[in-house]
Amino acid sequence: MSSEPIERRVSYLGDRLKGCRCLICGKEYFEIRDYCGSCGRKSFGKMANIDLFYDKGVLEVCTLVNEPTNKFTKLGSYVYGIVSFHNGKIRVPCRLTDRMIRQGEEIDFSAFEGREVVPRFRRRYSVDRSDIIPTISLAFTFADEYYPHQEYAVVKPNKDYDAPGIVGYGVYTSKFRIKEGNITRSVPFVDEDAITAAVEAGKLALIHSGVDSELVGKVYVGSESNPYAVKPIASKVAQVLKLGEEDEGVQGVDAVDTEFACKAATSMFKDAASLVNYPANIQYSMVIGADNSQAAPRDCPGGELDLFVGFGGCAYIFGKTDLIAEIEGWYSCTSDTPDFWRRDGEPFPMHGGRFTGDPAYFKHIRKAAKKLMERLGLKPSDINYFVAHQPNVQFPVRIAKELGFKEEQYLPSLQVANFGNTYSGSSPVGLAAVLDIAKPEERILIVSYGSGAGSDAYSLITTSQIIEKRNRQKMPVAYQAQNPFLEYVDYTTYRRLKLGM
Amino acid sequence: MPNRPAIVAVGRTKFGEHYEKEPEKLIEEAWLRASEDAGIERKDLEACYLSDYFLPITNKLGLEEGFLSELTELHVPMEVTRSFSSALSNACNAIQAGRYNIVLVGGIEKMTDRWDKIRDDLMLLEDPWSYYAGCTPEANHELMLRAYIRKYGVKGEDLEKLDIALAQVSVKNHLHATKNEYAQYQRKITVEQVLNARKEARKPLGLYDFAPISDGASALILTSDDVAKKFTEKPVHVLGFASATDYLTFPARQDLTRFTVSEIAMKNALKRAGINLWEIQVLEVYDQSTVMEMISLEDLGFCKRGGAWKSIYQSCQDYRGYYEIDGRRLFVNLNGGLKADGNPLGATGGAQIFEVVKQLKGEAGERQVMIDGTPKYGCVLELEGFGTKGYVYILGGTSS
Repeated sequence: MSSEPIERRVSYLGDRLKGCRCLICGKEYFEIRDYCGSCGRKSFGKMANIDLFYDKGVLEVCTLVNEPTNKFTKLGSYVYGIVSFHNGKIRVPCRLTDRMIRQGEEIDFSAFEGREVVPRFRRRYSVDRSDIIPTISLAFTFADEYYPHQEYAVVKPNKDYDAPGIVGYGVYTSKFRIKEGNITRSVPFVDEDAITAAVEAGKLALIHSGVDSELVGKVYVGSESNPYAVKPIASKVAQVLKLGEEDEGVQGVDAVDTEFACKAATSMFKDAASLVNYPANIQYSMVIGADNSQAAPRDCPGGELDLFVGFGGCAYIFGKTDLIAEIEGWYSCTSDTPDFWRRDGEPFPMHGGRFTGDPAYFKHIRKAAKKLMERLGLKPSDINYFVAHQPNVQFPVRIAKELGFKEEQYLPSLQVANFGNTYSGSSPVGLAAVLDIAKPEERILIVSYGSGAGSDAYSLITTSQIIEKRNRQKMPVAYQAQNPFLEYVDYTTYRRLKLGM
Repeated sequence: MPNRPAIVAVGRTKFGEHYEKEPEKLIEEAWLRASEDAGIERKDLEACYLSDYFLPITNKLGLEEGFLSELTELHVPMEVTRSFSSALSNACNAIQAGRYNIVLVGGIEKMTDRWDKIRDDLMLLEDPWSYYAGCTPEANHELMLRAYIRKYGVKGEDLEKLDIALAQVSVKNHLHATKNEYAQYQRKITVEQVLNARKEARKPLGLYDFAPISDGASALILTSDDVAKKFTEKPVHVLGFASATDYLTFPARQDLTRFTVSEIAMKNALKRAGINLWEIQVLEVYDQSTVMEMISLEDLGFCKRGGAWKSIYQSCQDYRGYYEIDGRRLFVNLNGGLKADGNPLGATGGAQIFEVVKQLKGEAGERQVMIDGTPKYGCVLELEGFGTKGYVYILGGTSS
């Protein structure tokens, strides 16, 4: 049994690592206090809130835990220690995450101590399936490994645009991979899920955009692997990323989850863009696609998906200032085509085999792409990059060729062989890979596909600001795809990690 | 200290796994031994102070006072605290204030009744954030050792010696326990066993560095100075006692290489007892881990900061029953310490007091220390949690 009030309080402080600083003596505390212990009564009203969410700390001392307490057993062995921030002004307990301690592996603690670490938002420990999922950011990774420390600096916008578009984006995949044949797929660490991936992606998008999180008025999270049947991922994202203005314990933001198989996120691009174009008080909106893509084990019905599923999240921030890409137009189409589904209460989806191809994927992508190009009067040669939904390598290549695109137009977006099918994040990750390299004034056509079924096509035109914003993000798609810190796991480990805590 | 309380009798059970016994059987056993010792009837008791940490959790006993009332058929005031030392300090205060003349202090714990969850229960003694981050009952001991090594720059051959010194703490305590019929482990171990267990665990500390999970009970009868002589020829007096408190959150403490509580409590206890540090000859420290014994030697002032391991190492090269520190002898954890005597939390402090009382009275049998006769002064350090609370008792025998 979990205690809802305790979960609310612990995650309110722990997800963001909230603390405070005494404005009189400078003493800092983890947790929020009304007064400073040293200064006493005179410090009432003189405590400034701080948080360590975007900060980096130093691992002071550490040891190995190989007999964890009962709720931590699914983590196996892990390194536990003490992290200090601000030159030792605040010290917090720490679990090193994203690190699998192999049987018999010797740890040289002195080689870990003194190194910089970054707080990561993760699941706290295991609970019953019916309980609230506990989260925390007292999980850390080394700043000089896969996930670098990145400052979040709010940048004052200096250019307005007539049409809405993309202000910034972020892609997050874990450092774990499984490689089988010519496809490599990202695998979550055991304390990750669609919720943590959504928060990570959103965090990276804020860093890239330089947008003040308080000015984000709406957040959509598209996912088909929310560990809750009822309870939005978006509310967690809003709380942890402090979207909208915080006022008496609530965030001034509208947050909602969307579901339409793999197009749950792309479907909302137009809604997010329209919102910031509407003469209301929403300056920025955020769309996240995040999935710990599910698949039954290989020998079970639906198990074919197990060869393709990945893990990750991708977030886009829409607005009308400092755009990196303007939206030129869109088209969506829908039909009631049951090619892939998951019934409520079932852990894994089923799919329609060959039926998922021609009458499903190809039909909708073809229609959406052609219709939008027709409406905008575009030929394939007018388009620099083509991005399609990527359930496997063959499908997006076949449709790209059929629509008349050449390799140089569609290959840059093809990321499925690096990360697997990240479901709601699939075509958004492809788009991010293109935005990572596109020059100003280039046209991108993205066409998503969601089973059930439908497609969203968008035409985007990059701006000159795409270049200046590029160096704000240390984790572009290529960095995550080709990284010396990637850790490859075998099939059994992959299934265990995917199942999570 | 005016109106010194006197310990007129002590009793305890063997520590270990008492699967077959209900908790009340254990406290009964300890109380009966103490009362027989002094010829006290339960009707003589004017109040009872009981200590336990986990009976509400391990045995679903929430209102322990009522359970003690049923057991003794007494309706006198009773109070329950966590550690034996906190119960004893309440009892001492009451005796000193002149409120009572004869009280019972008892401690009990039944940890093996929940062996599969007891390590989770132990996390109640740490701060919640550490628990949320994955802390274990052992982790902070290891972090303290890491911090110690880093602070004093111990490396190379010295680091090897420090590691061995800590192993020797455990070996020494096991050796002492072979003469203690109440001890949980009455067998010798070797330095190699301690080192191998660490190697197996791939951690700074291993199985043999930590006190075990135990069941057990301990009891004593505390009286005012005036009535003590009615019950015993040789009362042991509480000459001075003090306690101190520190943050629950270990990472938030200023210095990770010391227990401030021990330092403060010792200073105040010595002052109240009116004796000098080195008049203390027998010492029971709270060795929940070998690191704790080492650190405590520094906290209490017997060893220089950063230097305790050297004294331990040198004394244990050819161990003669005591630590030799700057040419002076200190007999430490003669009952085997928490490591070998056992650590049933609520009863542990009682076993520490038991040992010092027996030593001061010259009733410690095979373990008896003789320094120009029985020792005059003994000292007990008990901690709650990972140095969150510390209690120091300075006891004096009849010759004191």
